[in-house]
Amino acid sequence: MSDLQKSPLHDRHVALGAKMADFGGWEMPIEYPGGGVLKEHTAVREAVGVFDVSHLGKGVVRGPGALEFVNARLTNDLRRIGVGQAQYTLCCDRETGGVIDDLIAYVRSEDEVFLIPNAANTSAVVGLLAADAPDDIEVEDLHTRFAVIAVQGPRSPDLVAALGLPTDHDYMSFTRAASGSGGDLTVCRTGYTGELGYELLPAWEDAGAVWDELLAKGVALGVLPCGLGARDTLRTEMGYPLHGQDLSLEITPVQAKSGWAVGWDKPAFWGRDALVKERADGPARSLWGLESQDRGIPRSHMQVLKDDQVVGEVTSGTFSPTRRVGIGLALLNRGTAEGDVVTVDVRGRSSVMKVVKPPFVPSHVR
Amino acid sequence: MNPADLKYTAEHEWVRVVGDHLRVGITDYAQESLGDIVFVTLPVVGTEVTAGQSFGEVESTKSVSDLFAPLAGTITARNEALDANPELVNGDPYGEGWMVELAPAAGVAAALADVQLLDASAYEALTRS
Repeated sequence: MSDLQKSPLHDRHVALGAKMADFGGWEMPIEYPGGGVLKEHTAVREAVGVFDVSHLGKGVVRGPGALEFVNARLTNDLRRIGVGQAQYTLCCDRETGGVIDDLIAYVRSEDEVFLIPNAANTSAVVGLLAADAPDDIEVEDLHTRFAVIAVQGPRSPDLVAALGLPTDHDYMSFTRAASGSGGDLTVCRTGYTGELGYELLPAWEDAGAVWDELLAKGVALGVLPCGLGARDTLRTEMGYPLHGQDLSLEITPVQAKSGWAVGWDKPAFWGRDALVKERADGPARSLWGLESQDRGIPRSHMQVLKDDQVVGEVTSGTFSPTRRVGIGLALLNRGTAEGDVVTVDVRGRSSVMKVVKPPFVPSHVR
Repeated sequence: MNPADLKYTAEHEWVRVVGDHLRVGITDYAQESLGDIVFVTLPVVGTEVTAGQSFGEVESTKSVSDLFAPLAGTITARNEALDANPELVNGDPYGEGWMVELAPAAGVAAALADVQLLDASAYEALTRS
């Protein structure tokens, strides 16, 4: 895996004995010994878990009117939030409205917007914005300038406070702060688990000190280092889409029911014409939740059938550690309704599943 | 460590002689690779299996793996505890996490003489390569 990029915490993961895997071109921890997906998942639902998600991209758009520049390109409406707040948004293809990436935009000022795209899509997003930017707006890829450490779970405020960091800002807002061990960092009330939580952005070279302090001070709170395996089961329980599976160039936000992250009243954003039309016509397929009624676990690309007709495909699926059943997300043809009973072809066997509206477990982000 | 008194297959299963039956499970390497096991699907007692036949599944949070019959025979017992506690496979793959017992038609000695199973050191070499 020598071609893969490495997080600033890589040596620490290896020292902990983590199982490592390629994640968007980065060698990242999937799970840790003594933990495992189920225990790590439970730590986040019931106590607190820390994740290294430094593979996530970072970029900044700065210059006069940077906010307006971004707002005329990404889907969500930055005018819905103020300075110091963050927003989930989408970068769509100009022609088709397909999703190039989903990302979080952090408004630092009218003239500066910070972005956290997915690892594998960072250069695409940064490149598209840079290519479209006027001379006085600069778009910079800061991928290896900052680490991202997610601290998630009901005890996360206690742990973040134990580092002397602010914790009482609102969901989807952020603030700069000085930490005892790691210099200045940004504390965001964001996450991808459905639990109350924070994402800390220390400078790349400060990440180790922050990570060590989180694990040391978290012992009394029941902290576990958590890998991307648990991150996937946690986000699937919330029905949060993962780019590359539930969102992609072939899957529009209208199909993925991500229309809430589109500023429909804005005069311009990439993909607007295609998306407005698809929304008016009604999408041919939509993203639904599937809840297994037996021991079948839906997995990506499995076929979904109703009355022996293929009506769609599973885009994400796993075992829900909280509900103890198979759950998944699936793109299902128009006409599918909540409560429908379908079958999923699980390696040649028919597993009975119910069509539901995610989340599969209640959200506790606030 | 893989117990020295067991035989192993290239499919990461172990075989233990228990009287006139063979007990079968998956190796520590297999459970470690799979991660947290959440469902184990086993054949019912009385099922006849042929060598190499897929007779069950072990599913973890992230993937699923077939169980293959290491040799031909009739299933004489299945580890019922795995229905409620599949994590036994992770915690004790060579003990409480066993999968099935089977009786070879020709008897244990004849059946073992007839198949190529690995000893612990050969199996370890396989998992290191």
